[in-house]
Amino acid sequence: MAVVVGSVPKSWVRPTALGLSILHFAYSLLLFRHFDPATANLQLVEQSSWIPTLGIQYFLGVDGISFWLVILSTFLIPFTILASWKSIEDRVRFFHVNLFLLSTAMLGTFLALDAILFYVFFEASLIPMYFMIGVWGGKRKLYATMKFFIYTMAGSLLMLLAIIGLIFLTQEQLGTLSASILDFYKLSIPFVGGQLISTQTLMFFAFSLAFAIKVPMFPVHTWLPDAHVEAPTPGSVILAAVMLKMGTYGFMRFVLPIFPEAAQYFSWLFLLLAVVGIIYGALVAMVQTDIKKLVAYSSVSHMGYVMLGLFAFNIYGTTGGLYQMLNHGISTGALFILVGMIYERTHSREIKDYGGLAKVAPWFTIAFMIVTFSSIAVPLTNGFIGEFLILLGGFQAHRVLGGVAVLGVVLGAAYMLWMVKRVFFGEEGRIVTKYKDMKLDLNLREVVILVPFVVLIFWMGLFPNHFLSYSKTSLDHFVNNMSNYELQVGQ
Amino acid sequence: MQISLDLVDLLVVSPAIALFLGGLFPIMIKAFSRNKEPNSFVPYGIAVVGTLAALALVAGNWGIQREAFSGALVFDSISAIVSILILIVTLAGLSYLKESPSTQRLQFSEIVFLTMNASIGMLIFAWSNDLIVTFIGIELMSLCLYVLIALSEEEKLSKEAAFKYFILGSFASAVLLYGISFIYGGAGTTSLPEIKELGVNLITTNRMFLIGVIMFFSGLLFKFSIFPFHSWTPDVYQGSPTPITSYMATGVKAATVFFTLRWMSLDILTGERAFPFVDVLQWLAVLTILIGNVGALRQKSLKRMLAYSGIGHSGYVLIGLIAAGIGGQNLVGATGVVYYLFAYTFMTLGSFGVLAALERHSDHEIVLDDLKGLAKRKPVLAISFSVLLLSLAGIPPTVGFFGKFLVLAAAIKQDLNWLALWGVIGSVISVYYYLRPIVAMYMEESILKEESWIPRPMTQFAVSLMALMVIGFGITSESFFAQFFQSILEVFS
Repeated sequence: MAVVVGSVPKSWVRPTALGLSILHFAYSLLLFRHFDPATANLQLVEQSSWIPTLGIQYFLGVDGISFWLVILSTFLIPFTILASWKSIEDRVRFFHVNLFLLSTAMLGTFLALDAILFYVFFEASLIPMYFMIGVWGGKRKLYATMKFFIYTMAGSLLMLLAIIGLIFLTQEQLGTLSASILDFYKLSIPFVGGQLISTQTLMFFAFSLAFAIKVPMFPVHTWLPDAHVEAPTPGSVILAAVMLKMGTYGFMRFVLPIFPEAAQYFSWLFLLLAVVGIIYGALVAMVQTDIKKLVAYSSVSHMGYVMLGLFAFNIYGTTGGLYQMLNHGISTGALFILVGMIYERTHSREIKDYGGLAKVAPWFTIAFMIVTFSSIAVPLTNGFIGEFLILLGGFQAHRVLGGVAVLGVVLGAAYMLWMVKRVFFGEEGRIVTKYKDMKLDLNLREVVILVPFVVLIFWMGLFPNHFLSYSKTSLDHFVNNMSNYELQVGQ
Repeated sequence: MQISLDLVDLLVVSPAIALFLGGLFPIMIKAFSRNKEPNSFVPYGIAVVGTLAALALVAGNWGIQREAFSGALVFDSISAIVSILILIVTLAGLSYLKESPSTQRLQFSEIVFLTMNASIGMLIFAWSNDLIVTFIGIELMSLCLYVLIALSEEEKLSKEAAFKYFILGSFASAVLLYGISFIYGGAGTTSLPEIKELGVNLITTNRMFLIGVIMFFSGLLFKFSIFPFHSWTPDVYQGSPTPITSYMATGVKAATVFFTLRWMSLDILTGERAFPFVDVLQWLAVLTILIGNVGALRQKSLKRMLAYSGIGHSGYVLIGLIAAGIGGQNLVGATGVVYYLFAYTFMTLGSFGVLAALERHSDHEIVLDDLKGLAKRKPVLAISFSVLLLSLAGIPPTVGFFGKFLVLAAAIKQDLNWLALWGVIGSVISVYYYLRPIVAMYMEESILKEESWIPRPMTQFAVSLMALMVIGFGITSESFFAQFFQSILEVFS
């Protein structure tokens, strides 16, 4: 698809890209027809050999865990193209080529069932994002994009070593070299409780570091605010909505099922880091003066919830974690789009420049409020379901940490609402006065972008079962067989 | 040893003969036309025909294991692989030389002659199965290179580089030769197969033999710039004309590494006394990776940066060589070395080709600032260079990634986990300086005014081809893995 976009004339790039991405989304909706939610097996599998000498395959498939993430990725691309309609003016063609390469890499990451193939997509997603931040980013783009790349690369290279180790283990234990994740599940990796240096522990930490950087968990989150603030709107949206999910997805697909003993043993550490991330992200968000940076830190906090849910090791936590991944994709994606819209007009993201925006841009305010409610988990919105399930699971896993996490919800409400108050209400700010006569409110294109997000927020909040029913079997299977997890390829 | 010449011998060296003729005719033409330099197409064309003929002869000999000159040279599938690499390097080097202003004019016939002879030296070096012949190959290669380096128009740097390489290179050769005499003293033979039979015992019982091996190795390590014998690399690479740098950086390294691999496969490094030696080699690999990659961080000149990065890559190759040298599971290591070299050759040839293309239209050495905004000025060059750099950094799905993957896999297979860890650390450092040129090309505004030049056709073609191959061969790497693995299985077990 990237090739097609690269080859059409300049003025046609945008419509073509939009058309293609919508087609692509529609095509991914076919999944609903072919996907059978009643089984935990892998479905719609594509398998052919790639590098048999090393047991590497081209192996793709979908199950209840990756199902929604795939839909989320394809869903977002048309909206990022729409959202960048006006803001990206330089090198339009190159931008859209990047966008499609990125979407290929993201889908590949969620679908790959071969560890090396996964690694290839995981790494390959860095390059288009690297260009996206570096070419169309803000003032400190070079610093941000370099930091982003090197951070992620450092983590994933350690993971590569662990993958190589696992491949050789398959030869020892199963008799054939294989990089298939399904074969990794069958391994019993030596683990000695209470000892830091055992094969399983080392591999566990190598994988965890790679994914923790991507999530990002406290204390390896520092690349995130820089990358988000400097990235152009579509970059931020994809980064927050999809790329961070690669990290949490990695935990679900690799870390927990392949290294169950180590994961159980060190769950306290990850629960603790998750809760620290929740509180820390919220507190830092509170003192930000830049709206985008505030949203970025709120991401750190929200992803902390997801990790809390995953490491609770019970059905509530895991379900909530998966749901919260989608919620975060929707709500934070929408927040970044909204911030981008207002920035396009006024070129300021400073909170103190605003104030009283509600009077001049009522529709924009309403949209922003709804998304904010979703982000702070007000009942009836999607955020509520996710956070409620996670906290339920968190309590069961660890009383104290679960309790502290509740505090995070309060803090989350505090910083978001405080920001909303300062931006939309109160005295008229400098920028608002300056641009008062211009049309600050939403135009048709922007309404088209936002309506699906708002609809989804309420739909997911009111009828979570419409969504969770597709993942339920897989998640049940995941939680109940955590210590000897296996997946079969279904028909 | 009885000297005799029969048809098989000639068949084995026929590629070298083709190369020699390809180099000889141009200089003869020049001599017979009253020392007037012919149009540069003539020597270039003849040399290319010679190289292609050599390639055809190598392909014709493929798959048959032959020994020539009483076992002094061996042509097996490993020799075939390295010959093909060296001949590709020669082709690319000739094309760059043809289009480089500093080498194209007055003495092009002589340059072609020297280049072809250096290639012959490399071939003999890589085929040699007897230490004396090894030495002859090394010297033939090095002597031609000393002169080639000095031929740049940038008088001062080039002469300094040539002189430096000459002094240090002769010293290394002397040490190597001295090592050979010790080995002969210990083993009573210079033939590799005979050393293989004796070696395992000798290395623990005979101190003279061990000293010989150490000295011999020092000489080899100098040739592919392993710490602490690396210090000549940046200066010499920088001072040489860029086509020669690309030729040297890939050809010499390929020949040396393949010979070292042959040496490693003798399995003599498994004796008890040899263990400290292997440990030292491991440390050298780590230090080489670190020095190469850290050194590259602070370079402004792209040529120097690539030189340091080349040192870093040598460190990775050494990891593979060590894994191939320890007994047990060494086939993965050997395959890793072969594949890594294969990948490195294309990436490096391409990258230096980009520099050669840029230098033609610049009055100074190419620094990072010259690349600013290249994506808008020369999109094809910029995208090719980006692909090559990403491959050098080891980003999937390029050949660079699979090369690193195999080498690290070999290290883990041999339980050298900490070595693999250092390899990863070096790799993370390297990402920074490999990305900087990309940043300059795509994300910064040009400081130069618009230029109207277009890159020379052959250089441009070679560079784009290398970039395509770097991705294409990466995705289809299975066929290469299988082929290399098969060759290594045939030869080394």
